[in-house]
Amino acid sequence: MAKIIVVTSGKGGVGKTTSAAAIATGLALRGKKTVVIDFDVGLRNLDLIMGCERRVVYDLVNVIQGEAGLNQALIRDKRVDNLHILPASQTRDKDALTLEGVEKVLDTLTKDFDFIICDSPAGIERGAQLAMYFADEAIVVTNPEVSSVRDSDRILGLLASKTRRAERGEDPIQEHLLITRYNPSRVDLGDMLNLEDIREILAIDLLGLIPESEAVLRASNQGVPVTHDDDSDAGQAYADTVARLLGEEVPLRFHEYQKKGLLSRMFGGVRR
Amino acid sequence: MSLKVDRDSMAFTFKGGMLPMTVMELTSADPERIREQLAGKLSQSPAFFQHTPVVLNVEKLDEPHLALERICAVCRAHKLLPVAVRGGPDPVKQSAWALGLGWFPPQEAPRSRPLESVTGDGDAEMAEPSEPAGEVVTPGALPGTTVGGRIYRGTVRSGQQVTAPEGDLVVVGAVNAGAEVLAAGSVHVYGALRGRALAGIHGDAQAGIFCRELHAELLSVAGNYKRLEDIDPRLLGTAVQVRLSDDQLGITPLG
Repeated sequence: MAKIIVVTSGKGGVGKTTSAAAIATGLALRGKKTVVIDFDVGLRNLDLIMGCERRVVYDLVNVIQGEAGLNQALIRDKRVDNLHILPASQTRDKDALTLEGVEKVLDTLTKDFDFIICDSPAGIERGAQLAMYFADEAIVVTNPEVSSVRDSDRILGLLASKTRRAERGEDPIQEHLLITRYNPSRVDLGDMLNLEDIREILAIDLLGLIPESEAVLRASNQGVPVTHDDDSDAGQAYADTVARLLGEEVPLRFHEYQKKGLLSRMFGGVRR
Repeated sequence: MSLKVDRDSMAFTFKGGMLPMTVMELTSADPERIREQLAGKLSQSPAFFQHTPVVLNVEKLDEPHLALERICAVCRAHKLLPVAVRGGPDPVKQSAWALGLGWFPPQEAPRSRPLESVTGDGDAEMAEPSEPAGEVVTPGALPGTTVGGRIYRGTVRSGQQVTAPEGDLVVVGAVNAGAEVLAAGSVHVYGALRGRALAGIHGDAQAGIFCRELHAELLSVAGNYKRLEDIDPRLLGTAVQVRLSDDQLGITPLG
């Protein structure tokens, strides 16, 4: 039985797809059989971030509507074994997804995989609710700014009421906080919310903190999930996040502003 | 049978409401003494006695049987319309009903109903804010009759609404920005209050709001409200109580 994890946020542009791709890659690199599903029907992006956009033939909507088999739609990642991508449709909209259809796809995948990562669209409407409905765990991606924190708070409310686990009265979804685009020097200047404020408002456990990094944009545009860039701060932070997701205790990094010392200036230190 | 009724074809709707009501607190059960006092009052302020509806409060009387019919007749003779009786033992209740009057429980109702306990996880009956409010029938619409509160454990998150329609609401956790907590009685928040808190939603002016850390978007007691903008910035982040005095919301530090 696979663990179904939804990557969600409410607000758009906070790094859901980047995080879903990076975490799925990280899990596969740790030997877990992983599939990452793009639920953003109509605004397909995951395939670009994963660098497989030229290999998309069938998509999630085709599978749900019976126009293709699941195995035809799954794309095997070229860089990591164990990693598969199920792309969204770019030509359809979210109404093409049905609860029964999504359930059937997840039921089939759960037999063959260890982890199913659902990349949720932004918003709190149908697409986002379908992405979270069957989840066992949720990774709530939040930027250190007030609007993002408020939207994450809203999503946490929906996770506690509008999901299968909530409706059946089962154990609640395990909620994890993933803070992205964290810039310690701007936090010190008061431009950004600090880590403790975010944790206090959202009151859920912190899974990871990804520093604002040039490596992320570079990775997106190259179609290589940033986890592969293990020299970079963001790549290392995602690796830490994956380790914590697998139950390991890893100390938090990159949350404090460090002035560059002489050595790191000479030798470059961690690349941003 | 469908419960859906076309709104245009409805003959009536039930609405909860608060109306100003004169309560006549009886300290004597003797109709003659009541008549004498009423006659005096009538000559002082005749404008008051214009078929004014009154509730006869008999809580202070310790008599199993009242000459309720005669008392009512005395009232009507002085242009007061008794509409209900408050308090009194069972025979009083029965005779009130027999006279076509309503009966209200005494003001000092014993708080016998235990608080209903709910947790923040799962379905805590969290109504989406889009649901139409205002068509709620409120049996205990008079101040002080609120019993049966509610305890909510967990964070009340943005977009959620937690209501205690009949008594106090206790939140063991924070109320986040964009969330709303409402109670017929008082609102107690054992955490940060960042959202909206409305106490005394049926008009109970005695209700209050209590919180450990004030950042509220809106505070309201019995319809009198203050926005975050109106709150003294020095009180923000502190533990406070909010009370209504002379139609003004007063916010004072706690402890």
